[in-house]
Amino acid sequence: MAGILSLVRRIYLSFYNWIVFFGWFQVFYLAVKTLKESGHEHVYDAVEKPLLLAQTAAILEILHGLVGLVRSPVSATLPQISSRLYVMWGILWSFPELRSHILVSSLVISWSVTEIIRYSFFGTKEAFGSAPSWLLWLRYSTFLLLYPSGITSEVGLIYSALPYITESGKYSLRMPNKWNFSFDYYYAGLVALGIYVPGSPHMYGYMLGQRKKALSKSKKE
Amino acid sequence: MKVLVVTRSGKELIKGGLQLNDSATVADLQEAIHKRTRKYYPSRQRLTLPVQPGSKERPTVLHYQKSLSEYTKGSTSELTVVFKDLGPQVKYSTLFFFEYLGPLLLYPIFYYFPVYKYFGYKEERVIHPVQTYALYYWCFHYFKRIMETFFVHRFSHATSPISNVFRNCAYYWSFGAFIAYFVNHPLYTPVSDLQMKIGFGFGIVCQVANFYCHLLLRNLRSPSGNGGYQIPRGFLFNIVTCANYTTEIYQWLGFNIATQTVAGYVFMVVAAGIMTNWALGKHRRLKKLFDGKEGRPKYPRRWVILPPFL
Repeated sequence: MAGILSLVRRIYLSFYNWIVFFGWFQVFYLAVKTLKESGHEHVYDAVEKPLLLAQTAAILEILHGLVGLVRSPVSATLPQISSRLYVMWGILWSFPELRSHILVSSLVISWSVTEIIRYSFFGTKEAFGSAPSWLLWLRYSTFLLLYPSGITSEVGLIYSALPYITESGKYSLRMPNKWNFSFDYYYAGLVALGIYVPGSPHMYGYMLGQRKKALSKSKKE
Repeated sequence: MKVLVVTRSGKELIKGGLQLNDSATVADLQEAIHKRTRKYYPSRQRLTLPVQPGSKERPTVLHYQKSLSEYTKGSTSELTVVFKDLGPQVKYSTLFFFEYLGPLLLYPIFYYFPVYKYFGYKEERVIHPVQTYALYYWCFHYFKRIMETFFVHRFSHATSPISNVFRNCAYYWSFGAFIAYFVNHPLYTPVSDLQMKIGFGFGIVCQVANFYCHLLLRNLRSPSGNGGYQIPRGFLFNIVTCANYTTEIYQWLGFNIATQTVAGYVFMVVAAGIMTNWALGKHRRLKKLFDGKEGRPKYPRRWVILPPFL
């Protein structure tokens, strides 16, 4: 019984990782193609569908961690996925004025390259039992560049969105109301920006530690 | 007897160990360790009996009032204890005082001072009666808590790591400001007069009940700080293990019925969650201790914290 369950788990995770890999590959391909042919202003429109799908699918990964299907701690995946979903749905999708910004291209490229490597790494591991050392190296080295470029894009886009947030009043609740509650999406944006200040060095440091562990372990084998 | 004190990594904390009377207590041992190590005053020390490596069982913690011979299992005249530094400690009364001081001082600031000017609102505002009563209710509540801390509660010799001061103050002070902001807001919408009266009336009754619960709990413990567990009895304790938490939660419910803010309800839910966690632990401990065997009474069937739910 345990053997069959573990096999089902492997098949499910292989499917999951390769399907999402394909989604991100589409994002990357369409982004580069559009950059070459039409320019950075059109990148969002070209990648919107696969981007929204592939990134939102990542919610499943929180579930995987919770039920113990994968080893990654929920404490590490939850902040990562939340920030991605916030930037994608809460900023880019909600405020079309930002879509022609050049930072959208750097964002989409940083995210898609990282995810292509990450999902193919896990997809290979689940399907074949192990991943080639060059893929392991890529997984634990590309973040050195892509974290800074991705974070800069995210912060830049949130910052650029602020005037549009105030102007539109979207997602904000004003008083007076029966429940004496108010929520200002603009201030929430400022708080989000504030979180990046301690959050980014923390995540980068965590990945540096993971890199050391993973690459030294593979050297020993 | 000779006592060897080692750290969890196996190193000897005190070279050569300590020599103590055979009749010495754990407290005496703690004093001796303090004398030799200066930095580690007794409340910072956690002393346990060593466990077999790989064993999953929880180590036995040495209780300060017990005699050392109780832990040597009679046979040897040498005892090895494992030392852990709990970090700088503060008294519970100190911790409680600071965490309650915040809400007591911060809330009136939102009522009396033109704070909302800095949030972009006009300075003139109308103050509704409910807002004034809420101020009195809130301040009375935290004043009561501080008084109970110094005059009612009997702490079981326990201290708390100093990091808890920051954590607990962040919790109380943030929620205090969060609720004060909305209740005293210039655009605050009051509920009906009847609802306000029901809310505050119910809340006051629960606060009085809560105080009585604290008195009953106090009388379970002797002034010498014995710290042992007793089955709570009398008043609501006959039906609920943690009647003190029950009355506290319902008291906040009263406040929220009267003031009706999302912020107040969120605070109540979070506080109820925290207290439920504590209540479950206490209930289990009591049931385990009072199992009805060897002459011990059996813990009666009771609600844990919130009848009719838990």
